[in-house]
Amino acid sequence: MKVRLAAAVLAAFSLTACSGGVTSLDPADSGSKDAGAIVVGTANFSENVILGHLYAGVLKAKGMSVTVKPNLGSREIIVPALQQGDIDVLPEYQGSLLQYLDKNAKQTSAEDVQAALTPVLPKGLKVLPYAGAENKDVFVVTKETADKYKLKTLDDLKAASAELVLGGPAEDKTRYVGLIGLKEVYGVEFKDFKSLDAGGPLTRGALEGGDIQVANLFSTDVTIKNKGWVVLEDSKDLVPAQHVAPLINETKATAEVTAALALLNDKLTTDELSKLDAKVDNDKEDPDKVAEAWLKQQGLTS
Amino acid sequence: MGELFAEILRWFTTGEHWSGPDGVPAQVGTHLVYSVVATVIAALIALPIGLLIGHTGRGAFLAINLSGFGRALPSFGVVILAFQLSGLSLVPIYLALVLLAVPVMVTNTYAGMAAVDHDVRDAARGVGLTGWQVLWQVEVPLAFPLILAGVRIATIQVVATATIAAYLGFGGLGRYVFDGLAQRDLAQALAGAVLLAVVAIALDQALRALQKPLTPRGLRRSNR
Amino acid sequence: MKWSWIPDHAGDLVTITLLHLRMTGTAVFFGLLVALPLGLLAYRVPRLKSVVLGVSSLLFTIPSVALFTLLLPLTGLTPTTVVVGLTVYTLVVLVRNTVEGLESVPPKVAEAARAMGYDRVRTLVTVELPLALPVIMAGLRIATVMTISLVSVGLVIGQGALGQLFVDGFQRDFGVPIIAGIVITLLLALVADALLVGVQRVLTPWHRTGR
Repeated sequence: MKVRLAAAVLAAFSLTACSGGVTSLDPADSGSKDAGAIVVGTANFSENVILGHLYAGVLKAKGMSVTVKPNLGSREIIVPALQQGDIDVLPEYQGSLLQYLDKNAKQTSAEDVQAALTPVLPKGLKVLPYAGAENKDVFVVTKETADKYKLKTLDDLKAASAELVLGGPAEDKTRYVGLIGLKEVYGVEFKDFKSLDAGGPLTRGALEGGDIQVANLFSTDVTIKNKGWVVLEDSKDLVPAQHVAPLINETKATAEVTAALALLNDKLTTDELSKLDAKVDNDKEDPDKVAEAWLKQQGLTS
Repeated sequence: MGELFAEILRWFTTGEHWSGPDGVPAQVGTHLVYSVVATVIAALIALPIGLLIGHTGRGAFLAINLSGFGRALPSFGVVILAFQLSGLSLVPIYLALVLLAVPVMVTNTYAGMAAVDHDVRDAARGVGLTGWQVLWQVEVPLAFPLILAGVRIATIQVVATATIAAYLGFGGLGRYVFDGLAQRDLAQALAGAVLLAVVAIALDQALRALQKPLTPRGLRRSNR
Repeated sequence: MKWSWIPDHAGDLVTITLLHLRMTGTAVFFGLLVALPLGLLAYRVPRLKSVVLGVSSLLFTIPSVALFTLLLPLTGLTPTTVVVGLTVYTLVVLVRNTVEGLESVPPKVAEAARAMGYDRVRTLVTVELPLALPVIMAGLRIATVMTISLVSVGLVIGQGALGQLFVDGFQRDFGVPIIAGIVITLLLALVADALLVGVQRVLTPWHRTGR
C-alpha cells in the first residue's frame, strides 16, 4: 500500500511538473530570442499573414533570424505589442493606420498619408517606405442592389441611403473614413449601421445574406470578384491611399532591415498581391508556402 | 489606475450612453434575452435528462461522461463553425450557449438525484407512492438544492460567454467590450466588463432567492 | 472541403496541441496553488466563506477579452497572458470544491483525530484533506476540462493554441481547421479526464471497493 501511495504521489507530481513547464511558457522559438532576431507579427486575416511571411522571407535571405507570429488579432492589440517589443515588425496599410491613430485625418494621397503618419505614430515606432501594392477600403453592394438603386459611385448612394444598412468594423462609427466622412463628403446617411468585422467573413456574410446592403470591404478581397459584387467608385476621394508599408519598432529599423524590406516595394504590386490572396483564400494553400514560392519566382530569394 | 477608474466612472455618468439602441438599458436587455433564452432552452433539455437518469439509475455512466465531454467544447469553435454552416444569425450564438449550459445542469441534476438516500426512496415506495409520485414528491424536492446550484453555475457561464455574440456582430454587453477595443476606448471596454458582472450577480441572486421558498423546510440550511 | 489539410499539417497540429496542453497544465497547476489555501481559509473562517466564493465566481464573469487587454501591458502578447487569465477562471470551481470537500468530512472524524493527540496541521494533512480529496479531485477534473476548452479564447490576442485554427478557418471560410481544432480539443479533454480519474483511484484506494 505504501509503495502504491508513493507511486501515486510521484505520478501526480510528475504530471504537474511536465504539464506545467512552469519556467518557460513561450514556445521554444521565441524563448531563444537573441538580440538580432526579428519577430514579424500579423493581423488576423490571410493577406496580412502572407505579407508577414514575405517580410520574413526577404529578411531571412539576408541571413537574419526571423520568426513569424501570425493571426495575432486586430490592430488595437498588435500596435501596443509592437511598442512593447513583443513583436518587431507588422505589415500595415497606410490609410487604415492613420485613421486608427488620428480618427479625423483627411489626407488621401499616398505621399500625404505617409507624411501625416510620422507625427502621430506612437513613440518608438516608425513606418518604412511603402510598396506598390494597395488594399483600399471600398464600399461594396451586390449586383442586385446596384441595379435596383442604379448605383455606380458613392455619390449615387445619397438618394438611396435612407433605405440601406451599412456594415463594417466597429470603428466605422467613430472615424472619418466611415459614417462621418460619408455624410460630410457624399451626404450619405444610412438607415442603420451594423458593427461586424474589418472586411472579414462577417461583413461578407451579412452582405450576401441581405442583413446589410452596403459593406465596407477591402479592394483585394477575392470574394468581390467571385460573387460579382459592385465596388462603388470613390469619385470625391474620401478614402485615403492604403499602400502596404512595414510598421517597425525603431530599435529594429537598421539600415540592413530597411533595405531588405524595401526590396519588396517595386515587385509587390496590387495585382501580384491579389493573386497571392486568391491562392490562400480560394485554393486554401498555406500562406507561408505561397509567400516562399512567390519570393523565389521574383528572384528575391534563392 | 486611478485615472482609468475615473474614466470608467465618467463613461457611466455620460447621459448619451444610457439612451438609444446602443445605450446601456438596451444592451443589458439584449444580453439578458440571450442569456435567459439560452439558459431556459438548456434547462428544458438538461433537467429531464438528469432527472430521468437519476430516477431510473440507467445511463448514468454515459450521461456523466458525455456531459464531461460537452464541457470541453470550445465556444468560439462552435460559433464559428455554426456560422459557416448556417450563415449570419443568432443560431450559432444560441447553439454555443446551450451546449455550454447543458452539461453542468445534467451533472448537477444527476448528482442531486443520486444523493437521495436509498432508504428514503424505498420508504416512499413502501407507503404506496407511484414512480411518478416518488420523483415529484420525494426525489426532486430533496435534489433541488443541487439542481439549482447547477442552474446557477450554468447561468453565470452563459452570461459571461454571451459576450461572444458581439464577435459575430450582434448586440449585448460584449458590444462595449469589442467596440471599446476597436475604437481605442478602454473605458468603454471596461464599463462593459463591469456591466457584465452586474448582470451575472443580479441573475445569480435572483436564482438564489428561489432557493429558499422552493426547498423543503426540513432541508433548509442557513448559509449559502 | 479540402480534408488533406489535416495530414499535410500533422506536425503543426502536434506542436500546437502540446502548447495547448502546456498552457492548460500551467493554468490548472497555479489555480490549484491559489485555490487550496483560499478554500482552506474559507472553511476555517466561516465569515470569509461567502466573500471568497463570491469573489471567485465574480472573477469568472470578467470577459476574457477585457481581462487579456488589462494584462497585456504586464505580460505582453504571450501565452502567459492567457494562462494568467485561465488561472483566474479555474478558481470558481477549484475554490468551491475545496470548501465543499472539507465540509464533507464528518466533524466527528476530525474530532477523533484531535482526541488522539494530532495537532491541527496534522489533522488537516493526514485526515481532512485525504477525506476531502474525492470532491477536490472532482473539481480538478471539471477545472481541467473547462480550461482545455477555454484556452482557445486566447485567440482574441493570437494566443489561442488550438483556437488559432478557428481564426484561420474563420478568415478563409475554411471548415477543416475549425473541425480539427474542435475534435482535438475534445480528445484532449477526454484523455486528461481519464488520466485524472486514474490519479484519483490511486490516491484514494479506500474508495475503490464497492462502486
